[in-house]
Amino acid sequence: MFSFIIRRTFSSIPTILILILISFALMRLAPGSPFSSDRGLPPEVLANLEAKYGLNLPWFEQLYTYLKGIIFSFDFGPSFKYKDRSVNDILAQGFPVTLTYGLWSFFIAVAVGIPLGIAAAVRHNTKLDYLAVGFSIGAQVLPNFVMAPILVIIFTLWLNWLPGGGWNGGEWQYVIMPVIALSTSYMASIARITRSSMLEVLSANFIRTAKAKGLANSSIILNHALKPALLPVISYLGPAFVSMITGSVIIDIYFSTGGMGQFFVDAALNRDYSLLMGVTIVFGVMTILFNTIVDIAYAWLDPKIRL
Amino acid sequence: MTDIIKPMFEVNNLKISFATNDGIVEAVKGVSFHINPGECVGIVGESGSGKSQTFMAAMGLLAKNGHADGSIIFQGHNLLELSVEQLNHVRGKNMSMIFQDPLTSLTPHMTILAQMREVIALHMDLNQADTDRVCREWIDRVRIAEGARRLNQYPHELSGGMRQRVMIAMSMLCSPSLLIADEPTTALDVTVQAEILDLMDELKRENGTAIALITHDMGVMARMCDRLHVMRYGEYVEEGTAEDVFYNPQHQYTKMLLDSMPRIDNPDRTSHHKLKPIDDSQTGDDFLVVDDLKVHFKIKVGGGIWPKTLPLKAVDGVSFKLREGETLGIVGESGCGKSTLARAVLQLIPPTDGVVTWIGKPLSGLKKEELKDKRKDLQIVFQDPLASLDPRMTIASSIMEPLLTFAAHMSKTDMKERVMKMMDRVGLNRNMINRYPHELSGGQNQRVGIARAMIMQPKLVICDEAVSALDVSVQAQIIELLIDLQAEFKLSILFISHDLAVVREISHRIMVLYLGRVVEMANSRDIYDNPIHPYTKQLISAVPVPDPKIERARKSIKIPGELPSPMDPNAQFKFLPSKRDQVAQGYQPKLIEHSPGHFVAEHDPLETLLA
Repeated sequence: MFSFIIRRTFSSIPTILILILISFALMRLAPGSPFSSDRGLPPEVLANLEAKYGLNLPWFEQLYTYLKGIIFSFDFGPSFKYKDRSVNDILAQGFPVTLTYGLWSFFIAVAVGIPLGIAAAVRHNTKLDYLAVGFSIGAQVLPNFVMAPILVIIFTLWLNWLPGGGWNGGEWQYVIMPVIALSTSYMASIARITRSSMLEVLSANFIRTAKAKGLANSSIILNHALKPALLPVISYLGPAFVSMITGSVIIDIYFSTGGMGQFFVDAALNRDYSLLMGVTIVFGVMTILFNTIVDIAYAWLDPKIRL
Repeated sequence: MTDIIKPMFEVNNLKISFATNDGIVEAVKGVSFHINPGECVGIVGESGSGKSQTFMAAMGLLAKNGHADGSIIFQGHNLLELSVEQLNHVRGKNMSMIFQDPLTSLTPHMTILAQMREVIALHMDLNQADTDRVCREWIDRVRIAEGARRLNQYPHELSGGMRQRVMIAMSMLCSPSLLIADEPTTALDVTVQAEILDLMDELKRENGTAIALITHDMGVMARMCDRLHVMRYGEYVEEGTAEDVFYNPQHQYTKMLLDSMPRIDNPDRTSHHKLKPIDDSQTGDDFLVVDDLKVHFKIKVGGGIWPKTLPLKAVDGVSFKLREGETLGIVGESGCGKSTLARAVLQLIPPTDGVVTWIGKPLSGLKKEELKDKRKDLQIVFQDPLASLDPRMTIASSIMEPLLTFAAHMSKTDMKERVMKMMDRVGLNRNMINRYPHELSGGQNQRVGIARAMIMQPKLVICDEAVSALDVSVQAQIIELLIDLQAEFKLSILFISHDLAVVREISHRIMVLYLGRVVEMANSRDIYDNPIHPYTKQLISAVPVPDPKIERARKSIKIPGELPSPMDPNAQFKFLPSKRDQVAQGYQPKLIEHSPGHFVAEHDPLETLLA
């Protein structure tokens, strides 16, 4: 396993480099610059600004400086939009927010979704199963930009239990609604995947063998069926985890949490090159990291997979 | 017959039905039978006859839509009336079951030991040390070498035969009084089958375990059973002692089953179509020539930062010639490279080395377009008839497809006419023309596969386990069809099978493969009457014969040791241990012409190997 991690680390280096190159190229190919706004700055001012951020240099020099900053000092450079703030500062402020509500959402989605899926499969074609399937479909078709206002109407306007937005350092009242809004559809997907893979495993030949041994149903499910049934769930959880902890634009904007999802959109709209690159790279590294963790989890669940 | 012994397992007027979308289907229509202590009772029948369902009901393993009526009395209880909790005290303890497919019947993520411990923890009151001791004893008892290591391995690390032995060990842990074996050896090679059957017979004699054996194979029945029931369409059509049923069958169906069974000891069954002998004077020698063909696959071994690859020599230097109108049978156990060889001959897999010459011109190294022209004359019929047809195409369009590729100039009506004629020829009713594969039986689908292969009137057809998945009666019909087609179209056939009795019926010459190399090649009569290589002898001795007296008197040859891995450089020296020290110099056993046309690979005498 150790050599697998090393191999995976080395093979991820070119992936990340290509990711940087492509996003760098895409942004430079689009016409305009961070400072070309409607107001129309005088050309001298514009040239001064571009010189300050090094945008007047040839592209390969810009790329070289940028890469050098990342590799040697883990510095994503200054933000083009927010004066006097570096990308590192902005990420350091936004990431803890998304990480907090992302982790909670992930935990709740898994803790409810998996048992629900298992129960539905075990009680296949009963009321419980229909209820679980109904919930999964409902929660999946209900987008979170509908979910969020509904939550606000109920808990803030009618019941007046929870604040309608803000973050306040992650106090629990402020975290609840973002977590519910974000986790519901993931919970539904997890339940659905768990259910169908559990159903498949329960009809496998080795489950028949386990029954023939005289094992009780509970131990058949826990000891024999659960691990193989989790394989497809795990491969869904990797990417789902990444997109949860890197935040959701809708959640960030609707609840004004100040998380990373918001920066991603802002940066793209404002042509804040360095912030956009920074967010992209964080997203890319997370994806690679959690795919690796998924592969390791696979090896734990299935002895046939050797890393 | 007076039953002084009280039967231990008694089935009375058992009916099993399944609720399906097409209404209620009756799988078992009121059968009664009993099993006495220490007796082996066989249930024989073809697929869909309901032979397994009786015992599935006894074990509480019927599908959810199944319903059983009547009674199954075991140790004073009617098993059909027990709750799942009550049944859990019986199954796995007093009555246990092994299944057809050992590859999927063990839980993949649990070690062998963990799966065995589970049974003991459930049904016996033993401490950890005693539990492990009992497990170890049974693993040794079913003759799994290196038991201590094997117990800590996962199922995928064991061969199919070993996994079935683990299944047997696991079901014997609590010394049950009844062992139910549902097609226990059907998925296994003949030599492994022989060992498993011997083991079960030993358990019956030494432990007094009664065995219920469910199979389609009359040869297995003859070897194992004291009494047997012949089942068809959910009913017993004949029952009696093995001697009665085999030597004096009453029912038409039993006679038909016995007659369709190809017999390795007697290739000239009366009802059978005869192979057309080859006229040597007319046929040239250069029809299909395969010279030193090699197919090596690169296999990753071990971990590390830079994993190494080793070549797996699936086919390692095979040479043969095939004449016009001749059938060459290729036999060998799973993993011997017979299918890879077939595919390499047709260039479906690029050979690593060697030359295939087809009517004087090389097939290997051709461009895609050139090869496509040749494919018209080179066809293949695959093992799984249903899976090899496109499920979304009617059978007529499947049969017609080669015409669209190779005879595009023909009009649609002409094509249709030709398809109809071909369907007549292979025995498919013309009104099936618009059916889909899933609406046909396995035998009918295989006829479609043959019709598709034959429609361009090819000169060479490769049959890759073409009859292995079929019931014996259907298998016999397909073989007769192939023999007839061969006589009619002067067809050459490469007939690949693991079933030596089937190969004998259809082949002029036979080649025995062992881990990618030819160990013996000769006329089919010579190879069965006078096998020379120890491996050939072992294979032939392992095939069960549907005759209880012959079968029980016969001793099968067992060469010690498991089938080695094809990646082991020593593998070929299993039969030539005296020259094993020359492996390092790249020595390979040579193929020597023993008598005209009879080639045998270098080997040590059988006696030394057995010693």
